[in-house]
This record gives sequence, structure tokens and C-alpha cells, in this order.
Amino acid sequence: MLSRAARPALRAAVAAPSRAAAGPNTAATYATLREIETRLKSIRNIEKITNTMKIVASTKLTRATRSMNDSRKYGQTSNEVFEAAETTAAEADEKKSLVIVCSSDKGLCGGIHSGMSRTIRRLFAEGENFDLVLIGEKSKAQLQRTNAKNIQLSFAGIGKDIPTFADAQAIADQIVNLPTEYTDVKILYNKFINATSYEPTFIEAFSEEAISQSPNISAFEVEDDALGNLREYSLANSLYWALAEGHACEQSARRNAMDNASKNAGEMIGKYQILYNRTRQAVITGELVEIITGATASADM
Amino acid sequence: MTAAWKAAGLTYNRFLAVSARAIRRSLKEDKRIVAERRATSELRFASWKNGKAGEPRDLNAANAAATAENASS
Repeated sequence: MLSRAARPALRAAVAAPSRAAAGPNTAATYATLREIETRLKSIRNIEKITNTMKIVASTKLTRATRSMNDSRKYGQTSNEVFEAAETTAAEADEKKSLVIVCSSDKGLCGGIHSGMSRTIRRLFAEGENFDLVLIGEKSKAQLQRTNAKNIQLSFAGIGKDIPTFADAQAIADQIVNLPTEYTDVKILYNKFINATSYEPTFIEAFSEEAISQSPNISAFEVEDDALGNLREYSLANSLYWALAEGHACEQSARRNAMDNASKNAGEMIGKYQILYNRTRQAVITGELVEIITGATASADM
Repeated sequence: MTAAWKAAGLTYNRFLAVSARAIRRSLKEDKRIVAERRATSELRFASWKNGKAGEPRDLNAANAAATAENASS
């Protein structure tokens, strides 16, 4: 709601300087004075909005980073089995890959969603073929234009709050229930490097054959049907990890984006304030000149 | 040997979710409220065929339906 309303105003504000700069020289000085005033007011409002959003994102960020660190432990612990078993992606003749893209529903957070979409598009451009599962409206909106044929599932409703393990489980369930058997499943998420940089990264989620064919699996004693369970569970774990880390990245990116927006708005306010004062001064001077000229003219009579 | 939950058509994740819910509900009041917040999931999903999105559906309801289907087969 808020973001929709703010956008056209932002665009107008960006387009404004060129128009307003020509203002003071034109005849209708009064009109531009009022124009500058309204523009100034609207930029102030935008600054207020972006500032508030920044604060909200900051508070959410601390919670998100905490949940990210926790979930990372989950993911890494669940991957320990595969490391010990030296599992690698199965070498099948006919590869059928699935890529799960973890984005979210909300925008206004810089380029983190489009970074992932770009990675996907690059992979397609390199000639790889795979199916897509999209989590979040943003990646859906971006990828349905170019890769609609490859989309198998799309999920919405994520990103309002910190992703829960229940979310990850439900998604994993739905992916496991897909009719096609995939030889390898990858999860694409934004890796949190530091507060300003993220990198689209893949997590491997292994298929049942890959697990049973891994060279060191004999180190574990498992019943046959337990492997399927392990696969489902590790998919949920990896998804949870990816979702939580993606969420943290998003909040951090939003904080940065809003910080920049507030800074830009502040700059613009300064510029317009000076312009406003100068124009006001010009109007007063003009009026004075008129009055004095009038007075001298009538005094001579 | 297959476990009872497998025979009932549940996936392992579903089984975990159900048992987690049972544990959450048996917590004491103050802890339960905090824990239950972690269980909420309001996801919707749509399955795609040939580049067209299907009807968006509630994920949890769909999972429950899938469970019922697996159980009968």
C-alpha cells in the first residue's frame, strides 16, 4: 500500500530538478514558488516514509540475523551426513534437474531478487535445462516472463515474517510430491556475506539414488526406506536454511536501500530549500522595485 | 518394516510436523504461545502447466489432501 503510493512521487521528485531550475527566470514567479513549496513538502514526506521503513527493517534485521545463524547450524548439521558419506550429485544419463528459487513477496529492497533471476537466466542462456520452483511473488513476477514453461510450482505468502520450519516442511512436502523424478535438486538463495553484499548461491539437495550411491555410505548402517526419509528431511532443512538466510539478506538490503533513499531525499530537500529561499527573495525584490517605481512616479506628478 | 505413519500415507516431514505440533500443544501456557507462533505457515501455492499458473491454493490444505490420497492408495 505504502510502497505503491510512494513510487510515483519518487519518480516525480527525480524528474523535478530540470523543470524547476528553469522556473525562477520565467514570468510566473508566484506559481513556481508554490510549486517548489509543494514539491519540498512531498519530498519531506517521502523522506519520513523511507526513514521509518529503514528503522523497521533495522529492527527486523537483528531478529532475522539471529534466525539465520540458527538455521545455518541446522543446514550444516544435516549436511554433515553427506560430507561423511562423500555424496555427490548422481551421474545419470538423463539429467532432470530442479532449481528452487528462494525469494520473497516484498520489494523495495534493492537488487537481491533480480540478482537471483539473473543467475537463473544466465544458466538458461548457457544451455542448461531445468525445472523451476519459485518461492515468493517477486521471483515469480520476474521469471514468468522469460521462463514460464519451466515453472512447476510457485509459492506465495513468504517473507512477511521470519520463515518458520513449518513453512520449509510444507514446501519440501509439495516438492517431494511432484510427479517427475528429479536426479538433482538445487536450492538458489542469497548468501549473506556481509551487511552490504550478497551472492546468489546454490545448496545441493541430493536425490535418493545419489545418497545410496555415495562412496562412503557403508559407514552408516541404515534401513532401505530410511534413506527416503533422510532425503525429505534434509530437503526441508536446506530449504529452511535458504529461506532464513534469504530473509536476512532481504532485510539488510532493504535497510541499505532505505538508508540511501533517505540520504538522497535529504540532499534534495537541501537543494530545494535553497532554491525556495532564493525564489522568495527574488519575488520580494521584484515587488519592492515595483512599489518604489510606482511611488517615485506618483511623487513626480 | 514400515512404520505406522508411513502406512497412513504421511511423508516424513508431515510426520515430523504432526509430532512437533503435539509437543508444542503439551507445553505450559506461557511457553506454548511462543512456540505456537513458530508453527504458523500461511503459504499459498500454484502448480504450473505449460507456462500457465493454476489456481492458487492453500498449501497446508493441499498437503493434507495429498496425505489422504496417499493413504487410500
